[in-house]
Amino acid sequence: MNQRGQLLTVLLLLMTSAAPAFSQQPAHTAALPQHLRLRANFSPQSAEVLLDPAAPAWQSTPAQRIALHRTPPLYDTDPPASLEISFVEVRTLRAAGKLFVHLSWRDASADYVELPAVPDTPPEQRFLKEHTLGPERFFDAAAVMFPKDAPGGVVSPSLQMGDAQGPVSMYYWNAARGAMRMEAAGRGTTRRTGDSFSARAVYASGTWQVVLELPELPPATPLAFAIWNGSQLDRDGRKYFSVWHWLE
Amino acid sequence: MSRHQYAMVMDLNKCLGCQTCTIACKKLWTDRDGTDYMYWNNVETRPGLGYPRQWDRNGGGWKDGELQPGRLPTLDDYGAPWEYDYEQRLYEGSGKPVMPSPDPQSGCNWDEDVGALNGDDNFYFYLPRICNHCTYPACLAACPRQAIYKREEDGIVLIDQERCQGYRYCIAACPYKKIYFNEITGKSEKCIFCYPRLEKGEVNACAAQCPGRLRFVGILDDPESPVHKLVLVYRVALPLFPEKGTQPNVFYVPPFNPPRRGNYGKSILEDPRLPLDYLVYLFGPEVKDVIRRLEAELVRAQNGERSEVLQLLIGRDAATRYRIPAREQLVQIKT
Repeated sequence: MNQRGQLLTVLLLLMTSAAPAFSQQPAHTAALPQHLRLRANFSPQSAEVLLDPAAPAWQSTPAQRIALHRTPPLYDTDPPASLEISFVEVRTLRAAGKLFVHLSWRDASADYVELPAVPDTPPEQRFLKEHTLGPERFFDAAAVMFPKDAPGGVVSPSLQMGDAQGPVSMYYWNAARGAMRMEAAGRGTTRRTGDSFSARAVYASGTWQVVLELPELPPATPLAFAIWNGSQLDRDGRKYFSVWHWLE
Repeated sequence: MSRHQYAMVMDLNKCLGCQTCTIACKKLWTDRDGTDYMYWNNVETRPGLGYPRQWDRNGGGWKDGELQPGRLPTLDDYGAPWEYDYEQRLYEGSGKPVMPSPDPQSGCNWDEDVGALNGDDNFYFYLPRICNHCTYPACLAACPRQAIYKREEDGIVLIDQERCQGYRYCIAACPYKKIYFNEITGKSEKCIFCYPRLEKGEVNACAAQCPGRLRFVGILDDPESPVHKLVLVYRVALPLFPEKGTQPNVFYVPPFNPPRRGNYGKSILEDPRLPLDYLVYLFGPEVKDVIRRLEAELVRAQNGERSEVLQLLIGRDAATRYRIPAREQLVQIKT
């Protein structure tokens, strides 16, 4: 790890070490500053309705503006990246036994393509194969991270993909590759579970709006958010991230 | 570092540029979805742009123990493959000739056989390239997923397709740009040194199919192997761009033959057909010593003596060119 990486680790440790005071007392999220709280009201709407990012239910839900930070260059060979996306607007609603998270952020370029579906016929039996059209391109993506075990009642895990004592679940959506669930217990341990989940996205007027269907999470569960900007070569830990925010 | 190391030596004086190796590799390994633009084995004309275009100026590798920044080549750099509309033109009988689409403006090997001028003479040679299965692979070091590993038993460098997430740090880090991204699977891929063939005692497909018999394969630390003799005993084969610091395990006998037209009686170093500066650029300053050694062997043969080096380089049969130990034998070779 380079010096900047070490500095980041220290900063993150400082940030997360402040968390236990709140998260060990889940009933006391009221003690949190307003900007670290996420209000999640109940909605009578169906999942189908709420998965539409333009649904009226979302327009009437107040947004929490959450600051985004760039991860520092993880490797000395990384080109520097500027802070092009400084915040993400988050709305949360509880409905149909799920937690729906609506993310919207400004991004001047929609980095996504319709990747061809791979036909069922094995390639050796087909004359034509699907093409790779952009080996150099990266796609926009977003994710929500929360503690995997006993959400709401534990010390918030490390922001760097959790830690051995605090494994995390990620609900990751990629503009080209769709929605996939991941788990991790520390940096470098992220793995796909192989499961997908419901997510829908629209890009219009320079803004991404994405709705992710998460499982029901109890109050005082900490959530962290990440955005990847394809045009900035974002992937892996090269991304935008937020600090932990607590569900009310 | 691995316990043993497979290596390949390619004698560039024998390469015909026929691309049979390329096709052997393509048919065997990269005839799948997402792999159309990939040539794990390619043969490029030197001097020339190479494949991907300008790969030798795209960074990567090591310097003073630190990974160096590298650039991801674009599809255009690799040369976007094109299709022929066979269905419409042949089966539906439009009567028009079959034409490629999109209209090709560049492509892999677009500058084949172009070369450059040395004085009034045109010169070029072919450079076949595979993954170098480096001793210190920059790709392996750059992967944050630890998806790339070097096999302990034979030094072959592989990408675990389960662990790979398609981040492509490896592509930027490889100074030879010999890793390719498959957009359909979302994973990176590379030459696997035909390990499934080697494990059955068969030599790599590119070597087996080579009509020029220019490839030698074996364990570098096996004193009986042709690669050990050519690289370490006779010292007539060099890696490409040794200054990149990855210590490649593919070696080249530098091109020096035939002599320049009209230079009878002069030494090759005195009046080379290929500018020596260019060979030094590719293989480092030691290339001059290698050419001196090879020229001395030529002189010996011309004087009616027997040259073990040239006899080996002729590579009459597979037993001379390849030494593929069985797996259980591999672990018994003393290091």
